[in-house]
Amino acid sequence: MRKITLCLWLISGLFASFTSDAQDNSILLPQEKIRLSEAFDLIEGQSGYTVAYNEELLNINRKVLPPPTESGLEDTFRALLKDTDMKALIYGKIILIIPLDSHVGEDGLPDSDLSRAHNIIDEAIVVGYGSMSKKDISSAIGTYNPMELECTLLTGAEALLQGRLAGVNVQASSGSLSSRNRVSIRGIGSLTAGNEPLYVVDGIPISNTTSEAGGWEGEQLNSLTDINPDDIESIQVLKDAASAAIYGSRATNGVIIITTKQGVKGAPKVNADASMSLSHIPNLHKLKVSDADLYLEVQNEAIDNYNRQTGKSVAHITNPYPERGQFSWVDLVLRTALSWKVNTSIAGGSDRSKYYISANARHNQGVIIGSKAEKYGIRANVGTDIKKWLSTGINISANYSHTHLVPNGNMGTSILTHALEHRPWDIPYKEDGTYTIKDVDLLHYNLLQALNEQKAFNKNYRMIGNAFVQIKFTKDLSLKSSVGGDFMYAEDYIYYGSKHMYGNSVGKLTDVRKAYTSLVTDNLLNYKTKFRNGLAIDMMLGHSFQQDISSTASQTGQGFPSDEFDVNSVAAEYIDMSTARSSWSMQSFMLRTSINYLDKYLMTLSARTDGSSKFAPKNRYGFFPSISAGWNISEESFWKCHDLDMKIRASAGMTGNQGGIGAYAWQALAAGGYNYITDSGIGLMVQGNKNLKWEKATQYNAGFDMSAFGGRLTATVDIYRKDTKGLLYNKPISATSGFTNQICNIGAMRNEGLELTVGSDIVRGEFRWQGSFNISFVKNRLTELIDDDGILTSGSYHALKVGEEVGSFYMIKMLGIYQSDEDVPAPQYKQGVRAGDVIYEDVNGDGDIDTVNDSQFVGSANPLFTGGLSSTFTWKGIDMSFLLSFSYGNRLYQTWTGGLRLGNGLWPAQESEALARWKGPGTSNSVPRAIYGMTWNSTKFINTRYLHDASYLRCSTLSIGYTLPDLAVRKIGIGSMRIYIQADNLFLISPYRFIDPEVNSSLDATKMGLDNMWLPKSRTWSMGIKIKL
Amino acid sequence: MKNIGVILLCLALSVSCGRYLDQSPHDGIPSGEITHEHAELLVTGLYNIVQYKPTFNGWALFDLIGGDIVRTGATSTNTPELMVESAIAPDMSIVTSPWNGYFAGLYQINTVLDYVKRLPDSAQKNSMKGTCHFFRGLYYYNMAARWRSLPIIKTPSGGEEQKQQSEENVWEFVAEEFDNAMRLSPEFTDRNYVSAEAAKGLLARTYLAMGKKSEAVALAEELISDSRFGLSDFQDIFRGNPNNEEIFSFANLLQEGKVNMSSYYYTKDSGVGGSYNFCPTQEAIEMYSEKDKRRDVSIAYQGNNPVLNKYCGGDAGRDPIYVVRLAEMYLISAECQGLEKGSDRLNELRRFRGLDDINPSDEEEFLDAVLDERRLELFGEGFRWYDLVRCGKYTSVVDVDEKYTVLPIPARELTLNDNLHQHLLWQARMP
Repeated sequence: MRKITLCLWLISGLFASFTSDAQDNSILLPQEKIRLSEAFDLIEGQSGYTVAYNEELLNINRKVLPPPTESGLEDTFRALLKDTDMKALIYGKIILIIPLDSHVGEDGLPDSDLSRAHNIIDEAIVVGYGSMSKKDISSAIGTYNPMELECTLLTGAEALLQGRLAGVNVQASSGSLSSRNRVSIRGIGSLTAGNEPLYVVDGIPISNTTSEAGGWEGEQLNSLTDINPDDIESIQVLKDAASAAIYGSRATNGVIIITTKQGVKGAPKVNADASMSLSHIPNLHKLKVSDADLYLEVQNEAIDNYNRQTGKSVAHITNPYPERGQFSWVDLVLRTALSWKVNTSIAGGSDRSKYYISANARHNQGVIIGSKAEKYGIRANVGTDIKKWLSTGINISANYSHTHLVPNGNMGTSILTHALEHRPWDIPYKEDGTYTIKDVDLLHYNLLQALNEQKAFNKNYRMIGNAFVQIKFTKDLSLKSSVGGDFMYAEDYIYYGSKHMYGNSVGKLTDVRKAYTSLVTDNLLNYKTKFRNGLAIDMMLGHSFQQDISSTASQTGQGFPSDEFDVNSVAAEYIDMSTARSSWSMQSFMLRTSINYLDKYLMTLSARTDGSSKFAPKNRYGFFPSISAGWNISEESFWKCHDLDMKIRASAGMTGNQGGIGAYAWQALAAGGYNYITDSGIGLMVQGNKNLKWEKATQYNAGFDMSAFGGRLTATVDIYRKDTKGLLYNKPISATSGFTNQICNIGAMRNEGLELTVGSDIVRGEFRWQGSFNISFVKNRLTELIDDDGILTSGSYHALKVGEEVGSFYMIKMLGIYQSDEDVPAPQYKQGVRAGDVIYEDVNGDGDIDTVNDSQFVGSANPLFTGGLSSTFTWKGIDMSFLLSFSYGNRLYQTWTGGLRLGNGLWPAQESEALARWKGPGTSNSVPRAIYGMTWNSTKFINTRYLHDASYLRCSTLSIGYTLPDLAVRKIGIGSMRIYIQADNLFLISPYRFIDPEVNSSLDATKMGLDNMWLPKSRTWSMGIKIKL
Repeated sequence: MKNIGVILLCLALSVSCGRYLDQSPHDGIPSGEITHEHAELLVTGLYNIVQYKPTFNGWALFDLIGGDIVRTGATSTNTPELMVESAIAPDMSIVTSPWNGYFAGLYQINTVLDYVKRLPDSAQKNSMKGTCHFFRGLYYYNMAARWRSLPIIKTPSGGEEQKQQSEENVWEFVAEEFDNAMRLSPEFTDRNYVSAEAAKGLLARTYLAMGKKSEAVALAEELISDSRFGLSDFQDIFRGNPNNEEIFSFANLLQEGKVNMSSYYYTKDSGVGGSYNFCPTQEAIEMYSEKDKRRDVSIAYQGNNPVLNKYCGGDAGRDPIYVVRLAEMYLISAECQGLEKGSDRLNELRRFRGLDDINPSDEEEFLDAVLDERRLELFGEGFRWYDLVRCGKYTSVVDVDEKYTVLPIPARELTLNDNLHQHLLWQARMP
């Protein structure tokens, strides 16, 4: 009641129909003298409105006599406030109690004493282990409240943040169903020790690992889709160290706190919505491959070039089936997918108890035939006050999902990739109706065979919940104890029938189960008091213990009597049977003190110490302190600019990182399983590093928040510097040591950035226009490496070097095309390089090209800036909103070269590439000649021919809705009804050559920006209806 | 008072959690806890590790670039020359994965040898030491043939600090290792376990590479006259039947098997599956005459596709990795004795395989005849490239640059380790 969330405020601003509404509410209060506070509670319960007031101006313990009969809201308040110098003002769904002499402006808000009114309409910000009012915050926290306008399909909670918050960059790995995203908060937090933020749902740190049990070799499934976006009240992103340090050793990459909806006092409010959508892959023409004529022209030109050059006589290729024409495998495997969703929730409560319950079902089809995900979820958030000093509650959600898997990612049968790698005359069936076969009839796997002859699914059961007890010892001192957990059980079932290419001709079944349990107990002691001199203190002392245990069991059997037999108990033999267990635990102590003096001077100190089982006992504990301070400068008496509120903030703090490190990383192990014939054997396979230490980041942040013209214009600016030391990295070492890498603390890096968010609520009234714009600049660079001048390659495409950005591409640079044989240096000529072949930059000038001496840094996978622009217009019942998101300056390497080889291999070339090829001096300086068998132009070197600008501007969402007039819907017993249509991924502007630059076959920060022709994002058209009862 | 109680409660809770921070793995023990009771387990582990670490590329490379095999599929290369030129480069996995594998295995061997040396003296200790030396010799033989000059690493730690040794020193070390293995290992009982005889065979092979012909002949002849061994039918050797010919082969069972030779050579049409990455050249198929009893087990057609037929497991099974068998001793003996004395051994083998005797007119012709016989006999068993290289015939058989007579050291290693230097043939030279 005292704290009103921004969400409520915004929604009410949008939907509410201001004072006229209030007349319909009748309030009946007891016919005896009651305290004002009790009266307000009853009114809130009956009307659904929230009453906001300033305790300094209104004595809520005053006893009053309510009006004698059932009365409207305005009359009720008039009676209640009769003997005071206050009046009630209804603003949206909020009833503001303000001084009688206040004047009300056009926007419906009091124009005098605005700052005070704003303080009343304060936003409760969820921070680690508690919440604070927005005005008390002196650190950098981003808040996003999913609006009702957004229809969300099968997305993870993190995907909602794309383009919404400054400093939060969300990049999808592909457009597959339940695909994962990489979320980076303020740049790169680490090299390998995990770059994902910590996710906390209603106080439970949850696992954001994948949903599958480990048996699936395709793309990983996003386990964050287990959180129903419709249940989310708000998402807070703790960006700077001062806000995140309270999560200590897991906070370096920021913390995303998801808070689900809670019940509100009053009659049950029912929300129901349903939507249906169609998805397809846009811009498929960008993938067009050569037709039969062009294919043969290029291949035979390649053979001619080779024969002429070497004197050999490789035979021409001819079309063995000219009658077949051009067969399109892409059309065969893609479809327009149909999905639907229904979601219902009921929220309500009495004086003492509140509840929110919801249920949802989502059926999503993927654009590849056979791809499907079904998800069902329920949630119950209930709380009750047993006594004045004792309350308890429980938040729990249960989810079930069933995902039909289709080959994707880097699998050998990956559908889209290989749909492009067939010759024009390759078709799925032989004349006798059996499948055509790779390397016998086809160049690549028969995708129809791959899809039809497999049965592959993932089932996932997830429960996230906690229960708490809160004891109030005094008005100021309370203890909250909670026990919570994240439980996941997953099942991967991958059956390849005897006709499947992976079925070994006898049928093969991999059946994997995984159980994951994470248990957390928290004990938080809170002390909050306000002294007469205007000093307010809020202290929290806490202890937390978490233990994660996971176990997996997997069996692979082969040899089934027929495809109808599909359990391993009938398998003729077991190829593999294994079970595994692992666990880690962490104990933490934390302390936070916030001081507020006269609402002008704010300071928060926090400290956390974490002990983790992942480190050797001597390095086990890490200490993570922070400090932040703020100055509400507009509260000062000298501040004359009443239209402008301003707060200045600064913070510093330390955070740690232990993600991505194996549970037993420090220990050298003699592992079992190295058996020979019938004897058990062991091997020394894990080196361990007893000196492993916490990776720690120190972050400084400075910023200001301002709000002008009564909130019509708001801006937040933050600058920060984050220094990470003791970077954990699987350092490549010479194989002669016996290992190719070793995990160690190798260096330091720095992220510096600037974030700007501008919000506008310029036009208020019947026509309303709100907008928000954010942009973030991040500059990352490695500042220290074990041996400072060395270059550490990470994978084949990237390298690490002091002074360079992490995620920088390191490869050979293409300069152009040799136009004549005379231009070719002798060492290259000797290898067969001729006019029409690629010129690579010879960095060391020895005439030859090799990856050791001629590679160079050629840009980075990280964008220079990212951001988003969103806007909402409402007029009468009509609403329209859109979100544009953008990313600039990032580069993407296409690891898929199938269509660009021009004669090295039999794959058909991309039509655009084939037409642009070099055919003689002056014909091209970017696409080489066709040459049979030689790899110089295509696969010999990782080079910039395949590195592209991946900047983009995307219209992520555009929706148009209409809320039916109240009178019309009430007649049929409905509170309100909105119908809408929405387009997701409506358009994309990008210089990238393929469909979508937002693909990442690796989510590792040091290996980002690789496109292996994974499925691009779909375009989705939806329509839906939302009903409130 | 109540508050103090709460604080105490918190403290009590937290203290009780402290011990839960010690978590231990379930599939291993800290290496510090290994005692000599674990020695036997470690040696068994070595068999598993040594057989899979070099990967398929490690065991098959000498065939893949020997001129008789080409690549199939979408990136098919119709000529052995293209196959070699596209496969061999300092950052190709065909070069790097065996390099990494050999040194990773070597670390295991050296570590186990370290534990074994600390055991009290016994016959069993000797046998375990013998196994370690045998494996170390086997790895170094394969590495010496590829890279010639290498660091010689005899201790578990500090391998990256060792300097490259000359080619001669490396070969001396290989011979020393097999010599140790021959003295320490137990007598032959089982083809899947290391024996003194297996070491003897490999020492003969090493002497052949070193040009120590008389030593090679002596050892080869000892094995030929050993009554436990004899030439056997290919049907028995390569189809998993009992035979007298195999002296040492890794069992490479399905549940151990990370090296699936067959899958690279067989097609989906084989009935047991296969990925069909590599196939014999037309020339290699035609080298077998009708009479040759080895023919059908060495090569076959699946549908229209020619395949190497020595490994028949397909996708669903695994095949042994053949390390040394008696026929090679006949060929070593013949080659080292030369035309006059060696022809008998050569013809003895030919007759057993169903072929007629041959009578080369001079030493050069005789050497070519032995090499041809080795090609027929040992096709697909990892010999051809090095046979051609050590006889100086590689570039005349396969028309490629001379640098392909040695493998480049992986680029990654040169970046990470200053003690390694690229072979001169692989260093770029200004024209």
